[in-house]
Amino acid sequence: MHRKIERIIGNIEKVIIGKREVAELSLVALLAGGHVLLEDVPGVGKTMMVRALAKSVSAEFKRIQFTPDLLPSDVLGVSIYNPKTLQFEFRPGPIVGNIILADEINRTSPKTQSALLECMEESSVSIDGEVIPLPMPFFVMATQNPIEYEGTFPLPEAQLDRFLMKIRMGYPTESEEIEILRRAEKSVPIDHLEPVVTINELLELQEEVRNVYVDDSVKGYIVQLARATREDAGVYLGVSPRGTIALMRASQAYAKMQDRDFVKPDDVQYLAPFVFGHRIILKPEARYEGVTVDDVLDNIIAGSVIPIRRFVER
Amino acid sequence: MKYETFNKIELALYYIVIFFILREWLLPVMMLTGVGYVNLFLFFIVICLFISLFRIPFYLSWLVKILYISWFTIHVYSDAPFISPEGIGFLWRELLSNFALIAHGEFFYTTNPFQTMLFFLLMWMLVYIVHYWLTIRMNIFYFLVLTVIFIGVLDTFTEYDGTVAIVEVVLLGLAMLVFLYIKKLIVQYGASFRWQHYLKIALPAILLIGMAGLMAIFLPKADPQWPDPVPYIKSAAGQGSLFWEKVNKVGYDEDDSVLGGSFVGDDTTVFIAQTTKKQYWRVETKDIYTSKGWVSSDANVTAEIAPGQTVYHSLPVGPDEQKEFAHIELRYPYDFIIQPYGLMAIHLSEGMENKINLTMNVETEKISANYTGNYMYHIEYSTPEYLYSDLMSTMEQPLDAGLRRKYLQLPESLPRRVIDLAEEIVKGKESDYEKARAIESYFGKNGFRYETKGVPVPEENQDYVDQFLFETKFGYCDNFSTAMVVMLRAVGIPARWVKGFAGGDLIDREGELDTYKITNNHAHSWVEAYIPEAGWVPFEPTIGFSANRSIQFDIETDESQEDMLIADENTEPENKKNGTKEETARENNEKLASFQNLFKYLRYVLYLLFSGIAVAGILLVVFRKRWMLKWYSRWLKNQNINETTFEAVYMRLLKMLELKGFKRKKGQTLGAFAKEVDEIFHFPYMSQITEAYENYIYGNKTGIDYEKLKECWENLINRTSS
Repeated sequence: MHRKIERIIGNIEKVIIGKREVAELSLVALLAGGHVLLEDVPGVGKTMMVRALAKSVSAEFKRIQFTPDLLPSDVLGVSIYNPKTLQFEFRPGPIVGNIILADEINRTSPKTQSALLECMEESSVSIDGEVIPLPMPFFVMATQNPIEYEGTFPLPEAQLDRFLMKIRMGYPTESEEIEILRRAEKSVPIDHLEPVVTINELLELQEEVRNVYVDDSVKGYIVQLARATREDAGVYLGVSPRGTIALMRASQAYAKMQDRDFVKPDDVQYLAPFVFGHRIILKPEARYEGVTVDDVLDNIIAGSVIPIRRFVER
Repeated sequence: MKYETFNKIELALYYIVIFFILREWLLPVMMLTGVGYVNLFLFFIVICLFISLFRIPFYLSWLVKILYISWFTIHVYSDAPFISPEGIGFLWRELLSNFALIAHGEFFYTTNPFQTMLFFLLMWMLVYIVHYWLTIRMNIFYFLVLTVIFIGVLDTFTEYDGTVAIVEVVLLGLAMLVFLYIKKLIVQYGASFRWQHYLKIALPAILLIGMAGLMAIFLPKADPQWPDPVPYIKSAAGQGSLFWEKVNKVGYDEDDSVLGGSFVGDDTTVFIAQTTKKQYWRVETKDIYTSKGWVSSDANVTAEIAPGQTVYHSLPVGPDEQKEFAHIELRYPYDFIIQPYGLMAIHLSEGMENKINLTMNVETEKISANYTGNYMYHIEYSTPEYLYSDLMSTMEQPLDAGLRRKYLQLPESLPRRVIDLAEEIVKGKESDYEKARAIESYFGKNGFRYETKGVPVPEENQDYVDQFLFETKFGYCDNFSTAMVVMLRAVGIPARWVKGFAGGDLIDREGELDTYKITNNHAHSWVEAYIPEAGWVPFEPTIGFSANRSIQFDIETDESQEDMLIADENTEPENKKNGTKEETARENNEKLASFQNLFKYLRYVLYLLFSGIAVAGILLVVFRKRWMLKWYSRWLKNQNINETTFEAVYMRLLKMLELKGFKRKKGQTLGAFAKEVDEIFHFPYMSQITEAYENYIYGNKTGIDYEKLKECWENLINRTSS
């Protein structure tokens, strides 16, 4: 594993117990320049995770609690008239930061949601005809509660496409939970967390990820998986080319994380459920039969043809 | 007991079992080819097994084996002592001349000593292969299958009885398979040996085998679906007759009332006879010709025959000084005794005298025994010699009127042309003997053929003899003999139809006595005519058979006459000459017999070869994984991995692992697969190789250190292919 990345994950693990995979995946998304949708019940450590991540990479951390009455300007910022200078001055909203926790994103109105999603896609804020670039790196971790539907505005599936991956936290195991209690007994561990890499080092890492080699055979494999989702009998909407790109980016980041300078089909296979999972809409029939998206993806992966020879253009 | 000791003892036990199985291979071959010295051959196998068991260095073992073979060859085939210039010279000459023959491709002319040496080499190889299977493969399954097939084939196609042998081989073999399998497990998993564990596996298996054996014994068995597959296969292949024809199985049939129809051969051994000469074996005579076949006048007058006492019958007997013994071993549940010409008395084996009652039917002269098991009897006889002067007598028939009527009987419906033909043939002959000889030799000179196939059964209003003489002109012994009897009767010579067996095949020779095997194929019929002064004289009209009578030329005959006689005899293909010439004739016959034996032997070899090829083919297909695996791993072992070969070699590696049972699942990445393989074999090599390969194909890397991979590769191939 890459030395710096190992350090970051080790640092996060000081605070979050038993969630190494989530930490890794979050980091993959961060390195790939994407955003993460964390879907889970409250209280399993979503916020702690993001804060630990932000602290480890010495990034500016912002948190936006989404409520039904939250307005786009509350997120993006607002221009206020300054009587002294006789000019409108832009007061940036909480979106201007490195690592943003968008808590309970499905509680706010679609208007505010789309304002956020636009920032995520463009990495800039446009307000009053002005385009203000957001600081780099820019990483949004949105959370949503999958069990409450009342008073929520579920994100349309098309919007979900904007997230690189969707991750579930899950509950800790018994021994992990005891360990959590032991650590929380005296102090809040997050307060003592020290940064392990600088923002610049993180940006360098992001650059390196983009240089990870993806052989045409592996690209072919990614495409094969994406196409299979589009052709699957139980799937209503398959993975878009944006999803294909996302899987490749994520695979590059994951390969970098393994300190490898090329992508293997193993990386692709491992990440596919996280990257593709929220981009697939099942047909109602399939859903009634109890088929889940994970089942569909498992089948597709198990039935895929791994490239085991050198890629030859046909 | 220490495992090492146990191991040795166990191996020794296996070798003993193997010896018994090899014995089952050797015995039938010996029996069928009539080779002696079985024990010396078996001893050779013992030597070979012993040498294998104690792993005696090969130069010693070769020396011992070669010395033994040389000793055997010299001991058996030459009179010289082993260590003597003559003995060594004999061996040297044998080798030289036979190698020369082989070099010229004349395999048929190689001598017996040389063939014996080759046979020894074959056994040597066989033992080596078994040794290999036993100690290295620890699996003798193929050997067992081959043995069972071999015995099965011999049992089916020859007179060899493999009933006991098959059961023995299967039970012993299965037990051995079990023990070998356990041993293999112990070796494979490096487990320590413990008695209780050993017995836990072995006992149930042995119990199971024992139960299966017992069940097999007590289960009812269906009769064979094919009485004898050889004729069945032949007829199925179209060699036999068409199905609407009457097909007789050759053999001794009681009912001769309807003659004709084709017959198929039957190789079943009926008797084994030890006599000084090849001769005809009489069973009974029949006297009434019905125009379709033969029946006997229904007088059931029988006379008891006391064992060892003189038997009274109608035939002449030779002088007491020329008394001989024939030892007959019955191998078929026939209830009659076969009699040579000149029968004097019948002796039964000790202990059988009280069990068997012998009676003779006075009319047919058939001697019946009220016992059908296999037993032996000894016949005291003296072959009659007919004086030429007696035979040439022109006396009136001395038979009384009743007998004359009986032996001159002809059916009313006999066509006139048969009688005309008979009179035509005997025209100008004075004595009855000359007339009979004229009729006897008529068939050979007038284009009659010996044929067993397509012989018709006479129609409702057709006469059997008439049909043969004028229409078909071909047939087998029944046609010829019946025709001759009818023609003899037509010219007034009393005659009767005789049934029995022809001489048989020479299978062994021990001092004075020759051993003949008489099978159902040798069932035969011929003619006896009553010649005044001489009595009943046998005649053999069937083409291809020689007359079974000896004549003493006691009166002066002018040369031309004798020439004519000899010429006459010469018209018969398988001739038996008189006097001094008999010696050479006999030798010729034996040569022929040994030649026939050779062909028989070749036939078994062919059967064996074909079944061997078939089995090999099946095994190749069934075990294709094994040999393909062997082939792949050998190929892989010698591969040099580099930039250009890596992909091809890695693909072969996957294929080999697949044959080995490690198949990469669909959708399984190389890395995951390699990990799986490594976990099973407890080594890191597959993952290491795969990592390099991944670098090669996904990473598009060029600077892979293939030298470093080499050791890893060797380890991988050695471990996975073992």
